[in-house]
Amino acid sequence: MAYKILLVDDDPDIREVVTMLLEMKGYETVTACDGIECLAALRAEEPDLMIIDLLMPKMDGFAVLKELEDGRWSKYRHIPILILSSVREEASRRRYELETALEFNVDDYVEKPINPDVLLERVERLVNKKKKA
Amino acid sequence: MTTASGGRIAPREGTGPGLTPEESALVVRIGVFVKMRWLAIAGVLIASLIATQVFHIHFSLVPIYIICVVVTLYNFFFLYQARNLDVGTRASLPEVLAVPLRRFLIIPKATSSLIERARATGNIHIIVDLAALTVLLHYTGGIENLFIFYFVFHVILAGILLHYRVAYLVATWAIFLVVLLVGLEYYEVIPHVHLEGFAAANLHQQGSYILGVLVALSTCLYASAYMVTSISGELRKRQREVVALQQKGLTEKTQELAEAGQELTKLEEGRQHLLRFLAIASHDLKAPLSAVQSYIQLMLGGFSGELTDKQRQMLDRSSTRITEQLELISDLLDISRIEGGQIVQEMEEVSISQVVQESVENVRALAADKNIKLGIKVPASLPKLEASGVRLKQAITNLLVNAIKFTPEGGDVLIRVTEQKGDIFMEIMDTGTGISAEDLPKIFDDFYRGSDREKPGTGLGLSIVRRVVEAHGGKIWAESPNPEDKKGQGSKFTMTLPKSLVIAGKKQSQKKLASNPKD
Repeated sequence: MAYKILLVDDDPDIREVVTMLLEMKGYETVTACDGIECLAALRAEEPDLMIIDLLMPKMDGFAVLKELEDGRWSKYRHIPILILSSVREEASRRRYELETALEFNVDDYVEKPINPDVLLERVERLVNKKKKA
Repeated sequence: MTTASGGRIAPREGTGPGLTPEESALVVRIGVFVKMRWLAIAGVLIASLIATQVFHIHFSLVPIYIICVVVTLYNFFFLYQARNLDVGTRASLPEVLAVPLRRFLIIPKATSSLIERARATGNIHIIVDLAALTVLLHYTGGIENLFIFYFVFHVILAGILLHYRVAYLVATWAIFLVVLLVGLEYYEVIPHVHLEGFAAANLHQQGSYILGVLVALSTCLYASAYMVTSISGELRKRQREVVALQQKGLTEKTQELAEAGQELTKLEEGRQHLLRFLAIASHDLKAPLSAVQSYIQLMLGGFSGELTDKQRQMLDRSSTRITEQLELISDLLDISRIEGGQIVQEMEEVSISQVVQESVENVRALAADKNIKLGIKVPASLPKLEASGVRLKQAITNLLVNAIKFTPEGGDVLIRVTEQKGDIFMEIMDTGTGISAEDLPKIFDDFYRGSDREKPGTGLGLSIVRRVVEAHGGKIWAESPNPEDKKGQGSKFTMTLPKSLVIAGKKQSQKKLASNPKD
């Protein structure tokens, strides 16, 4: 069975690039445009991996991460999270920890623009890690 | 001894709690009255003794002693009264005792203002003293006694210490009492005491002499009243002006402070607004380029079919230009953020050795590509700093990348950290081409790219490094050739971080607790 990956990004071109890339490698993809859609898709699809942008309208990636810390989402906590953002990792980490006083607890962080080889390698590592666990 | 006790009250009353300068001055003056009275009593006794013993003037001393005793007694009362003037509602004695005592001593009610109470007390002092001096004069020769002119002291004291109107009132009262005294003696309503051996026996009946004395006394008293009140009135006015000026200055300063506070809040709001704006601008400027770059990478990766060599070459060049553009945007936004004061917000507990290690890791691959030996010398123990770790890492990485970029294959790049008099020194040395004397003073300027324009870059890298260092209160400079290089080659960049950033032991542990709330 193919791994199902949830991709959350407000930029349609980024969604296009990543979907194209992942589907070529045989992954099944589901997309969402913002944090609200993301949470809905998380319940509905129960993906094997979540790739999420940080800066989005309505509900951003930071808010999604914070929401997932809540006990209601414990069922989905095992799903690995890969951040795909144009913001530098350190800056995002700082901002999240300053604003929420929580640890920036994500499985991987890839900075845009997308380097196809790097992204595919990270995705593969995460889904395999999940399989072992 | 009595004078000393009278003197002691002055500072105590003067520094009483919550008194205005005018009030405390008035309280001090009442104390002066008491003090002067002790002197007056002593003076009377001494003068009487000298008159009778040295000059052999004959008159009865008994009434004088009696008067002195009376004055001494009421002066003790006044002393007690003066000490309790500023007591106000604060009870120094049990109320049961204090109320009748206060009533007996004519201490005005505590509810009336201190100034009123002090003035009333002063008036009472003067009236009693005028009476005492008049009685004293009666028993020491009346008109024969030249000390009759001592009324002038009452006028002067009243003028200086009390209200100016009181001075005239006292002068008038004194003249009235003297006229009454000499009049009664003249018409023999009361007996006349003759100063035997000093004056003619019938002097108290000599109309022209009496008139002369009275005119001299009256003019003397009124002239004194006028002079004293005009001078002390002026002084009092000045004192009020000074107090008013001080208060005005204080009000102005308070207002200025409040305004400065508002200004600061506005500035801070403006800064926050700018930083929010920059975050959005950064995202919106980079997002389209990121998307384009991602597509190009997809194509270059062969995910959209085979590319011809020509296509690959063009896409490569497009990709390079986009990368440069993204770097430029990042650099410009970095500068704006640093100028907007973001580094202060990013300050945290930072381990210098960790920052240096991580920066070196960032460039290790780059150095390996050019077969450059990357040296690192960090002392075993370095203090922790209150700094922006992210920005320091960015600055050190930038300096290392530059050093590697301008060093030919097989060269050496060394980063050395030292602590000198508490300040942290970081030196980055290379064996590269060096910097020309012409370029050296300008390399930290914005958009300065040196004479070697072939090398890629935005020309903002070193200017960002300078801003990062300066935002931490440090300094940065470059030397070329490297003064430590044996062959006289390469360059050396030195950045300092001041010891003011060093976190003291106690603060360090507190910060650790705060940053790990889950523990």
